[in-house]
Amino acid sequence: MPHDRLVAMTGVRGVLRSLAGRRDAAVLERPTQAARREPLALPGRASERRAWADAASGARRPSVALHGVSKTYGNGKRALVDVDLLVPEGDFVFLVGPSGAGKSTLIKLLVRDELPTSGSVFIAGQDLARLKRRHVPRLRRQIGIVFQDFKLLPARTVRENVAFALEVTGTPGRQIRPRVDRLLALVGLSDQASQRPAQLSGGEQQRTAIARAMVHDPRVVIADEPTGNLDPLISWEIIQLLLRINEMGTTVLMATHNAEVVTALRKRVIALEEGRIVRDEVGGYHRDY
Amino acid sequence: MIHFLAFAIKRAIQGFWRNGVMSLAATITMVLMLMLLAGLLIVSSSLQVGLDTIESKVEVLAFINEGVSEERVEGLRADVEALPEVASVTFTTKEQALEEFRATQAAAGNEDLTRITGTNPIPAKLNIKLKDPRVFGQVRETLLGPPGVVQEVIDTQETIDELLGVTGVLRTAGLVILAVVGLTVLLIVVNTIRMAVMSRRDEIEIMRLVGASDGFVRWPFIFEGVLVGLLGAFVTLGLLALASQPIGQLARVLAAHLPPGFQQNLTQQVIGVVLGAGFLLGGLGASISVRTYLRREPGTG
Ligand SMILES: Nc1ncnc2c1ncn2[C@@H]1O[C@H](COP(=O)(O)OP(=O)(O)OP(=O)(O)O)[C@@H](O)[C@H]1O
Ligand SMILES: [Mg+2]
Repeated sequence: MPHDRLVAMTGVRGVLRSLAGRRDAAVLERPTQAARREPLALPGRASERRAWADAASGARRPSVALHGVSKTYGNGKRALVDVDLLVPEGDFVFLVGPSGAGKSTLIKLLVRDELPTSGSVFIAGQDLARLKRRHVPRLRRQIGIVFQDFKLLPARTVRENVAFALEVTGTPGRQIRPRVDRLLALVGLSDQASQRPAQLSGGEQQRTAIARAMVHDPRVVIADEPTGNLDPLISWEIIQLLLRINEMGTTVLMATHNAEVVTALRKRVIALEEGRIVRDEVGGYHRDY
Repeated sequence: MIHFLAFAIKRAIQGFWRNGVMSLAATITMVLMLMLLAGLLIVSSSLQVGLDTIESKVEVLAFINEGVSEERVEGLRADVEALPEVASVTFTTKEQALEEFRATQAAAGNEDLTRITGTNPIPAKLNIKLKDPRVFGQVRETLLGPPGVVQEVIDTQETIDELLGVTGVLRTAGLVILAVVGLTVLLIVVNTIRMAVMSRRDEIEIMRLVGASDGFVRWPFIFEGVLVGLLGAFVTLGLLALASQPIGQLARVLAAHLPPGFQQNLTQQVIGVVLGAGFLLGGLGASISVRTYLRREPGTG
């Protein structure tokens, strides 16, 4: 096979691979299969190439990896178009973009709420396309998920809401209490443990949800507009909490419209527009022209 | 496993109470259906016993013509006895037959009219006992074979057939009604569990979110259905126990002589069938519901 055809076939991936000296024949001959096996090879944008280099040097394993991911909904809506993304373990990443850009869709793919139409999604070392249905619960325990609307059970107290996640995953009763106490301390809700969601502020409710997301010590926390329902001050509280969780070693990926926070924090920002990644760099909410 | 069972049972009981009115309606219809089932079982086993007693008395009677020689009768008797379906044959002379007739008339308190005639109008007869009361085979044909010997053959084949027909119809009708009621109960259980699933939508969403396995999501609902079934079964058995006196009488009416151990056997059968049916219907209804209404949201694979 002529070299330039190979390059065309394997695209940037192949180029990157050769940069890394990972250019074995099998990879080049069967690009799609190879891509599935090898989540590290990704096209280059500045910060991504850095992330990739980190990963390749063995410094940090990728926590989240997307390869040529497209998602077309049943109604024909193309929510994601050929998205490549690599998030090394321990990163804190913002996902921004106008309404309808595909942020929530991306998150649904990561938690395997949806499957990609094409391309492959890796998270916590697992290829979601190959993940058997019965193993989805195991995956979900390795991911902490936080939503804008908290999704708390109104009839249960803060403690019970957090404990629920342990109960329904078969945690022995003796272990539940101490673990819940530790998590409530982490999110600063020890004093509100026996209140119901209706008696809490929005920020406290979200902190309860974050405590619940952390019950299985997840490697990744994924939050879809966690501050969407909160006023700016409380939003900061939640961000601080997520930053602290990140400092303890958990990868955090957070979709948000909160420009102020994104701009102030100087973390990696991935911007989506009409289903494509249009920007991937450190800091800044808005696109620089 | 223990945690799982404890969790599932706890949730099932919670669900049963939360869903109070529907659970109650389902339990009551379950009781009605199980009562019907038990009733059918009791009636049909009693009828069966009655039928068996009648069958055990089945014999074929051949009345011998006046003046037939004893040798010819003996010959016929030997032929009949040789048939594979025949158990035994006894010969009753005219005199013995008259005695029998007088005895039965006297027992019934009737006046003995045979004394007036002076002659003996009662014919001699052969009593043939069959090995299987339903298999008459060649008996009738053999008896009527030699010309002029047998005046008339009376057998109970028709009576037995009619009786079998009646019990058959009764059983079929009972089963049809039972099937209809059973289906209704099934649908009610399905609906009850559907409501339980609906009322727990949010919880189920959260369970899936935090990585609860399918078993934790599904089994509580199946247990809830089983709970409805078993509760219905226990209520039914309680009611039957209260009504055991009249039921015993009913059984005695349907079968004149109940064989020893019949009541105990029947009781065990009823308990087994009622518990089993309640358990199965509850479990089945709930599984159907869980399968139908707990499907994963589209797109989740
Ligand atoms: N289940 C679905 N079926 C069909 N189309 C969908 C579905 N979910 C999302 N979409 C469409 O896909 C596109 C991307 O939606 P998505 O929810 O990912 O956007 P988003 O970036 O999260 O927006 P927002 O900031 O408003 O939350 C939108 O056009 C939306 O209408
Ligand atoms: Mg969204």
